[in-house]
Amino acid sequence: MEIALEAEQLGKRYGRTWALRDCSLRLPTGRIAALVGPNGAGKSTLLHLAVGLLRPDAGAVRVFGESPYGNPAVLPEIGFVAQDTPLYRDFTAAELVHLGGRMNKRWDAALARNRLAQLGIPPNLPVGKLSGGQRAQVALALALAKRPRLLLLDEPVASLDPLARREFLQSLMGSVAESETTVLLSSHLLADLERICDYLIVLHAARVQLAGPVDDLVEAHRQLIGPRHGDGPISGVAGVVRASHTARQSTLLVRTDGQAVDPEWAVHDVTLEDLILAYLADGETTVSHTAWEVPA
Amino acid sequence: MIWLAWRQHRKQLLFTLIGFAALAALMIPIGLSMRHTFTDLGLPDCVREVARADVAPATAESCEAAFHRFTNRYGSLNLVAVLLLVLPMLVGLFWGAPLVAREVEHGTHRFAWTQGVGRTHWALVKFGLVVAVTVAAAVCYGLGMSWWVSPLTQAAREGRLGFIVFDLQGIAPIGYTLFAVALGIFAGTVWRRMLPAMTVTLVGFIGVRAAVAILARPHYQPARTLTFPIEGTGPMRESHGDWVLASGVRNADGKMVAADTQIMCRPGGRGPGGGACGAELGAGPGAYNWQLYQPAGRFWLFQGIETGIFVALAALLLYLAVRRIRRIA
Repeated sequence: MEIALEAEQLGKRYGRTWALRDCSLRLPTGRIAALVGPNGAGKSTLLHLAVGLLRPDAGAVRVFGESPYGNPAVLPEIGFVAQDTPLYRDFTAAELVHLGGRMNKRWDAALARNRLAQLGIPPNLPVGKLSGGQRAQVALALALAKRPRLLLLDEPVASLDPLARREFLQSLMGSVAESETTVLLSSHLLADLERICDYLIVLHAARVQLAGPVDDLVEAHRQLIGPRHGDGPISGVAGVVRASHTARQSTLLVRTDGQAVDPEWAVHDVTLEDLILAYLADGETTVSHTAWEVPA
Repeated sequence: MIWLAWRQHRKQLLFTLIGFAALAALMIPIGLSMRHTFTDLGLPDCVREVARADVAPATAESCEAAFHRFTNRYGSLNLVAVLLLVLPMLVGLFWGAPLVAREVEHGTHRFAWTQGVGRTHWALVKFGLVVAVTVAAAVCYGLGMSWWVSPLTQAAREGRLGFIVFDLQGIAPIGYTLFAVALGIFAGTVWRRMLPAMTVTLVGFIGVRAAVAILARPHYQPARTLTFPIEGTGPMRESHGDWVLASGVRNADGKMVAADTQIMCRPGGRGPGGGACGAELGAGPGAYNWQLYQPAGRFWLFQGIETGIFVALAALLLYLAVRRIRRIA
């Protein structure tokens, strides 16, 4: 199994604040991975490190075994669509396709043109005058025309309306389904991801909270409902991710250890969304409580 | 890459060329008419004659009058020349500062620098093209201004080494313009917003230019001193294009008695108070006129040194800018 993207104890610091810390993950090729986390969790930082825009302050990141920072040899392998899909707004879509050909050795201009024609993007209008959804499609077409082995998309649908979002993700799926392209796409919109991703990375408070194939992750977690519970161990449970209690009842989201769970508990399967929310709810808020001088 | 640079900056280039053409359309007719008058008044001969030591008093007097007429008519154009001093800075503001800052401000650097060519290549091509365009424009500007301003300086008989005239002509403008552009680019890589980058370019350019002109330039070569007696028959010694840094009247022991002045009495003549020559200034017997100056013949040497300094600064700034670009995400 080849590894498309690998991070080892990766860290990036802005001034004194760590935007990303102790990040270790291995993304196998052929996966469509979702990078999930709230704003400021370090998603963009991780993607910028992966595409070589940033230099790591700690640890290492490798794309197909090579460090991307200051190494233009890796760039042809990576298609990158930055947040807010920045493009030269006074260029037309046709000019951008031409530009891609000038700036890349491997460039499939026909692929870009076909895509844009199919999507009904006008070729001779400055892209600044296109709608946000159309502009995102242009950016995606340019990234795909590089025929990358790893496609990194930073919040590509964040600014799109639900319809454009769905169209964008559908066309993305359509184009990577046949190729062996590995996709890593960051988002804070959970519903969209469930449909398309088979790999999940949850980032929160600058750290990786969870990473793995979606099926395995869902399989390894259960929701337990039972009588009010203290802190004692429960058989069949490797760890409690999140617990909420009412006066008489506790609801736990737990990681199972494969054994049968104590029959005292009613066991339910979890959805991907439950899982993500459970891991995101638990964060480092002590710092901000101190900063605001209020009790935690 | 070159196609990108052309496509991105073609409008800017067009506006720059239009600006240049408009300026040329204004300056060339003025320059031609100035030269025409210069010749009509017989000033080229005068310049030659007056420079000789044994110039006849009658010639000197008639030439003086002709120079005066010319200066009366065209002297106000010196102000225009001062205005043109800001041109290199404008190039720095509008070509240098936005080059990186604009990309980062619009986020397009994340698009451009993740294409196959990589950002160092991007930077080298962009900087190279801007530098080439800048040098071409600056050469035209320097030569054009040399041609345009020479009647004015010759008529004023102040030489080409003085402030402002030195800065306008020859090869120095190439150094200034390159420096302005490099400073703009560098400021853009540090501040990464157009407005702060332009502000820094403006302040930095004026500061460095003033510092070099005032503090460094008079010392490019050891200045020469000239002394001559305060009594004599000839007219007062003219500087003939030398750059006089300091002057005054000194006593026999070398003590300065009157700075920034020169005096000349006929032999045995009396000062205004009826005392000995220069007595009212405090000059005793054996007092002499003193001048510290850079000879006019050092013009091209000084131009070379000045250009060298600014080209070196520009090269350093561009090198730092390329290094800084690798830290921008």
